[in-house]
Amino acid sequence: MSLRGCLLFWVFGLRGLCSLNQFQLNLLNLLRSEYDQGVNTFSPEGRLFQVEYAIEAIKLGSTAVGIQTAHGVVLAVEKRVTSTLLEPSSIEKILEIDTHLGCAMSGLVADWRTMIDHARVEAQNHWFTYNERIKVESLTQAVCDLALRFGESADGEDAIMSRPFGVALLIGGVDEKGPQLFHADPSGTFTRFDAKAIGSGSEGAQTELQEQYHKSLTLREAELLALKVLKQVMEEKLSGANKGFRILPEAEVNELVAAM
Amino acid sequence: MGGNIEHRFSPYTDNGGTTLAIAGEDFCVVAGDTRQSEGYLINARYSPKVYHLKNNAVLATGGMHADGVALVKRIGQNLDWYVHKHEKQMSAPALAQMLSTILYSKRFFPYYVWNTLGGLDENGKGCVFSYDPVGNFEKQHWSCSGSAGHLIQPFLDNQIGHKHQSNVEHHLLPLDQVLKIVKDAFNGATERDIYTGDFVEIFIITKDGVTVQKHDLKKD
Amino acid sequence: METTATLRFLDAPASIAAFKHAASEDDIEATASACVDMAPREFAHPTFDIPAINNPVEFLKHQTSVDAKNRIKIQHGTTTLAFKFNHGVIVAVDSRATGGSYIASQTVKKVIEINPYLLGTMAGGAADCSYWERELGRRCRIYELNNKERISVAAASKLLANMVYAYKGMGLSMGTMVTGWDKTGPQLYYVDSDGQRLKADLFSVGSGSTYAYGVLDAGYKPDLTPAEAIDLARRSIFYATYRDAYSGGFVSIYHVKEDGWEFISRTDVNDLYYQYAAEPKPSLAA
Repeated sequence: MSLRGCLLFWVFGLRGLCSLNQFQLNLLNLLRSEYDQGVNTFSPEGRLFQVEYAIEAIKLGSTAVGIQTAHGVVLAVEKRVTSTLLEPSSIEKILEIDTHLGCAMSGLVADWRTMIDHARVEAQNHWFTYNERIKVESLTQAVCDLALRFGESADGEDAIMSRPFGVALLIGGVDEKGPQLFHADPSGTFTRFDAKAIGSGSEGAQTELQEQYHKSLTLREAELLALKVLKQVMEEKLSGANKGFRILPEAEVNELVAAM
Repeated sequence: MGGNIEHRFSPYTDNGGTTLAIAGEDFCVVAGDTRQSEGYLINARYSPKVYHLKNNAVLATGGMHADGVALVKRIGQNLDWYVHKHEKQMSAPALAQMLSTILYSKRFFPYYVWNTLGGLDENGKGCVFSYDPVGNFEKQHWSCSGSAGHLIQPFLDNQIGHKHQSNVEHHLLPLDQVLKIVKDAFNGATERDIYTGDFVEIFIITKDGVTVQKHDLKKD
Repeated sequence: METTATLRFLDAPASIAAFKHAASEDDIEATASACVDMAPREFAHPTFDIPAINNPVEFLKHQTSVDAKNRIKIQHGTTTLAFKFNHGVIVAVDSRATGGSYIASQTVKKVIEINPYLLGTMAGGAADCSYWERELGRRCRIYELNNKERISVAAASKLLANMVYAYKGMGLSMGTMVTGWDKTGPQLYYVDSDGQRLKADLFSVGSGSTYAYGVLDAGYKPDLTPAEAIDLARRSIFYATYRDAYSGGFVSIYHVKEDGWEFISRTDVNDLYYQYAAEPKPSLAA
């Protein structure tokens, strides 16, 4: 019994995974038992560790910010340009899903591309069948349907991954309900936000958003706020090269940076 | 070693009947007779083939009765699933495109049905869509199909579309006038087409919902 | 050997069909029953229903033949043309749809606006053309999103040709011209349901095409002005509607330019008849 109690404690402790020392990690390995090995097995406490670890993995990713205004949604991501030899335009963390939908991410980019491919096909299939644009929430749901298709395949569906996706998404878009921002995590849960930050700097960024956000933000104010928040949590200097829907061209980002 | 016997799969039969739809400024009228025949035999005098769907669109299905019933059931299912998935009713234009896709999914084993769909578009204006059995469709202001389609269509072209009239400004007719024309059309068709008769059911779609009228046609 | 089609789609309403040679009747029935399930996902994984018989192709052929008892008259579309010239591509079509001898519509849109820079035309089975060109539009959009640039007309037309080729022999009827302006300039391709794909400067397709060719060939040269080209296209379709009973209604014209296509006009052939009748005829004696 006491062993289980410990297990719970350490898992809660996982939130500060980065700060664990080697001793603690070893202890953790000892105590976790085998329930975090398989992706399809609940622990006796009712947890799916691999999914939770995937959520943790996002906290290692670059920071992304999404802000909803009455006029549209702003998505902004930090690009970690780790070397002067690195070509910044080859890092893509915001992509268009359809003319009315954009997606920013934090986590494993390769996993994200699978989801984007799926999202784009889903949006076009909706257009094909109904001759209308898919709703932002429906599209988000469709992407989240993918999230739990790991492990062994379910009836009639093919599993596409051996493990959960290591990605959190910010999906922004406009439909008949107006501009909307959704956050989706590796468990396939999605939630609507006025403003949301994900990734390594998300804690600080979210606090900042909480303080600065108000319903009457204009799009430009939201763009500036997104940049300000990113700047505070980024380790590198802010420039057009490391900021990527409307995907703003580098020149425009530089102009915004100057306006700050 | 008997001789070869040729077997052919013939799943279709034409149960006759006539349907039409007319779009107005802020309403739409869809109508069909209720006779159901097979050859020279009248199977039923009241077998409706015009269906009020859950999203307040109205679908008229001519051709084979059984295929029409199967198709409407499938559409109903899809309308429900759409509500669950998207938390809204499917608009008539969205249904129009979906119906085409459903019909084409049986391109190699078609529904033996000639559809006419009526409803209101996103702006509340009346709209009519007419189909061939494999899903080709066109948005129109008025359309008539079925066994007396070729009799009524030119009449509607003239009366609703003011075609072949000189010095007439084309204008959309009010509901009461459209209803008179629909009744005249069906009474006339009943006189000249053996597959049309018994009753005509007229569905009127407005922003407030759908109402139905049933009128007698000749029973001979 | 009978051919049964297992037309199970993956992510697309119409991806490549998987053909299967039926070894036994059991196989065929298994195929047919697999198509029965109608889940909410039916549009995520649509299937083409195939009649549960030995030869589905013959079934449809019989059902659409003129002597069938309960004939399925699939609507057919009819005179279309397109030609390249120095200022892009002109596309012109009539608007009549016939089901047998009945004129089902005089107002069909036979130019299919695949997207703002690609046009397709409709001749043959109307549903076949509009369905597959819609599917082409879907694929071109996905291509554009994935590659951050527009698909070339060559690639788009080949996508269409490959899609319909998968159903070769199953009774599809489509004769279409795909045209647009890409990096390599104005482009024009002809694609049909036999799988044929041709590239040329000038095409006319449909039952009235021979009449249209007569007028078009007589007046065509690459250095026509846009106004001359549009007039030539309009006359070509008009004279086709005049001689071909399956063509008629309105003449619609589009002009493909560098920055996408532009709709030019839609004219009642009756008005054109009187307009052309009033013009002096050219003297043919030299």
